[in-house]
Amino acid sequence: MSGPAILAHRPSAGPPRPYHFPGFRRARLDNGLTVIAADVPGRPLMAAALLLPGGAGHEPARLAGVSSLAARALSEGTRRRDAVAFIEASERLGASVGASCDWEMLSLSLTVPRGRLEPALELLDEMLREPAFPAHEIERLREQRLNELLQAAAQPGRRAERTFLAHIYAPSSPYARPMGGDEETVPRLERAELVARHEAHLEPAQATLILAGDMEGLDAVAVAQARFGGWRPTPGVGGAAPTPVPAEPAAGAHATVVVDRPGSPQSEVRIGHVGLRRRIPDYHATIVLTTMLGGLFNSRLQRLLREEKGYTYHISAGFDFRRSPGPFGVRTAVQTEVTAPAVSEALGVLRRLTTDAPTPAELSEAREFLIGVFPLRFESPEQVAGAIAGLVTQELPDDELDRYRPAVAAVTAADVVAASSHIQPDAAAIVLVGDAERIVPGLDAAGLGPVQVVPAA
Amino acid sequence: MSEDGTIGAMVAPDPTHPRIDFTERRLANGLRVIVAPDHLVPVVALNLWYDVGSKHEAPGRTGFAHLFEHFMFQGSAHVAKAEHMSIVQGSGGVCNATTWFDRTNYFETLPSNQLELGLWLEADRLATLMDALSQENLDNQREVVKNEKRQSYDNQPYGSFYEKLMAAVFPPGHPYHHTPIGSMADLDAASLADVTAFFRTYYAPDNAVLTIVGDVEEEAAFAAVERWFGPIPASGSVPRFAAPVTPPHIGAGSRETVPDNVPLVRIHFGWRTVPFGTPAFDALEVATQILAGGQGSRLYRHLVRERQIAQDVTLFSMPLVAGGAMLAGWATVRPEADPAEVEAAFLAELEQVTREPVTADELLRAHALIESSELSALGRVEEVADRLGMYATLFDRPELVNEQLGRYLAVGADDVLAASAATFRDDNLAIITFVPREDDSAQADAA
Repeated sequence: MSGPAILAHRPSAGPPRPYHFPGFRRARLDNGLTVIAADVPGRPLMAAALLLPGGAGHEPARLAGVSSLAARALSEGTRRRDAVAFIEASERLGASVGASCDWEMLSLSLTVPRGRLEPALELLDEMLREPAFPAHEIERLREQRLNELLQAAAQPGRRAERTFLAHIYAPSSPYARPMGGDEETVPRLERAELVARHEAHLEPAQATLILAGDMEGLDAVAVAQARFGGWRPTPGVGGAAPTPVPAEPAAGAHATVVVDRPGSPQSEVRIGHVGLRRRIPDYHATIVLTTMLGGLFNSRLQRLLREEKGYTYHISAGFDFRRSPGPFGVRTAVQTEVTAPAVSEALGVLRRLTTDAPTPAELSEAREFLIGVFPLRFESPEQVAGAIAGLVTQELPDDELDRYRPAVAAVTAADVVAASSHIQPDAAAIVLVGDAERIVPGLDAAGLGPVQVVPAA
Repeated sequence: MSEDGTIGAMVAPDPTHPRIDFTERRLANGLRVIVAPDHLVPVVALNLWYDVGSKHEAPGRTGFAHLFEHFMFQGSAHVAKAEHMSIVQGSGGVCNATTWFDRTNYFETLPSNQLELGLWLEADRLATLMDALSQENLDNQREVVKNEKRQSYDNQPYGSFYEKLMAAVFPPGHPYHHTPIGSMADLDAASLADVTAFFRTYYAPDNAVLTIVGDVEEEAAFAAVERWFGPIPASGSVPRFAAPVTPPHIGAGSRETVPDNVPLVRIHFGWRTVPFGTPAFDALEVATQILAGGQGSRLYRHLVRERQIAQDVTLFSMPLVAGGAMLAGWATVRPEADPAEVEAAFLAELEQVTREPVTADELLRAHALIESSELSALGRVEEVADRLGMYATLFDRPELVNEQLGRYLAVGADDVLAASAATFRDDNLAIITFVPREDDSAQADAA
């Protein structure tokens, strides 16, 4: 041993300082719009998000991608100004104003220096209530989307992800397809479809406006009232909340699929199956489990496949918790020659979850990690608004984020073993993008066949 | 709101920006220490900048600075192999390290009651790394790094552009001619003796800046640094890097066509520029914002929106300090468009800013966007720590953390014109065009 003597004494932690998720309050305007204001003191930027239920999970299959394209088109011009004028107006404020959708929600959002919140909200409102959906801009966005799909197909990680999801979900589930639509559906997305899709969202009583930032001297509810108080529902719109997104697994999902990509120096790997919805009783035990399995740098998968075997630069595993059951997946890229052993080793790690309970060190590391990094996720107003948007989307209680740290701290080894039943290695699909000629024989020999090979082009 | 669409036109960037209050001291062994308290969230960011990067590598030894970075996670006298990450994550923190042309940095963000733990981890690997170095670790990390290279570059469409562009913009022998990831052959040739020599040469308190930002008390933080780092001896003989004489321009245009496994043609451009840290470089960053900084920018508006010949356009600066830096960009060509037309249209936009001043409105919008982006960055403790370390290491001026935004806002149309004219020249342009490989069967032979 070398070095200064003091280094032999690892320091212990000081007393922890308390942390609470930024306080927020709710109000309801006369037109039914819910307003949530969260205080993030001392930050010069403000963030706003306006959420409207009815994301891509709720669109007709033959128009897949319409929600996403409609969201993208919102900033392409309004009845007051064309796309370029709209963008320039937001740039003059130093604002980023835009819209996007996820499976559940349409979300209009902005970030802007605090002093310019109100003119930026005016732009957000204009985008919401007076979008022009110019036909020529929509045509361009459609072309761009089709070219994105071309590029995604050439990118092995994205190719693997798309193939994996299409393989594990039944074709009737929206989760089986790319959220932005595919080669077949995007050409169908005409202006009329986008307009109809957007109008279906315009119900203030179902919408939520979230404001986050330094609230000193700012009456958020009054700002919201002044801007959105006059918003009235479009006649004939609204009513029942959307029904849950169907998320059935595909028949025959348990199989090995290789998308051939001749000459690949690495194979992209996805192993998994349809997983879990967000609102489950053992959510916190499950994230401790996946953190130990494939979240930490020294997770079980990383220790074996990266540090011990040197097969990969990085391997991860986790559930994508959605309103309906999202996917569980192990994700990595491994060098071509070791593809079959890497898949076998990863499956072995999954199989041992039910027999090898977490060691005290594993349990403590996973829990402490989740507890400790939690506040780091909420430094900026944008992050705080995003976290509250998550609560709204998943219909979780307002104290869910403050409950998070004690709930994680209470997870036991037995809870983790029980949660491991959510992971089913023997029902998992194995999807690979790589050089079929070089990897299929190894997969067959390792008992991972029969292998379906999808040709390159 | 007015009906004529002039919303925001009256709004000028806010001059009352929040300031980062920091204090700087130097230990007797030369370690430079910067502390900036910020109590919003109970976390602390530590960032240690070592003044060593890929520019310090000898010929035939490319990729060493980065390979070495991996060893810093393989254990030291009191920390077992791979335990560094476990200790940080198991204490509720995150950590990582990056290697760049001009430096290598190591950083962790921890709950603020774990400040001493972070300092101990960093001090232990600086003082005692050599205790844990073994051939086995070298072999394993070499494989990990080679997989990182395969994943991040070799197996990505257009993945080799960065290596090719640096090689075209800086001549053989120049420290920026090669990228930090290095070559497979050089990595294979790395020996334990090489790694030891690299450590002894560059890893010393008098070649580092340690920055602490977050929920800490200033005096307690300095005392803790003294406790853990004070006893580590100085090197006293860190070689000073001399920036090579670098002509301001490449000297001749160059062009390369690369058949690759790509779906769309993409044209990459690279220009040699003045070094990062000069007013002309600031002006180029403002020019970059005006040309390609968003949907309101000239290149996006003309090539993507109006003519619809490009799928995407981009322009970005590489902030380097040894004699010169680089500005780079690309245009991805839509399938039905003519690549020659896209290339000409892209270059025509750049030529335009060398001839006519940008408009007052363009400048205002660029300033407003840069302001928001800087304010956002300075609201995160990790970013503030990184920037303080950067400004201290590269320029000996940590106070730039409070000055840089003002410098961008002071850039005028004449500065943009002058800096653009000095950069966007035919004899200073490298073009690398990726085209879809015609014969797919050729791919297997190439691999």
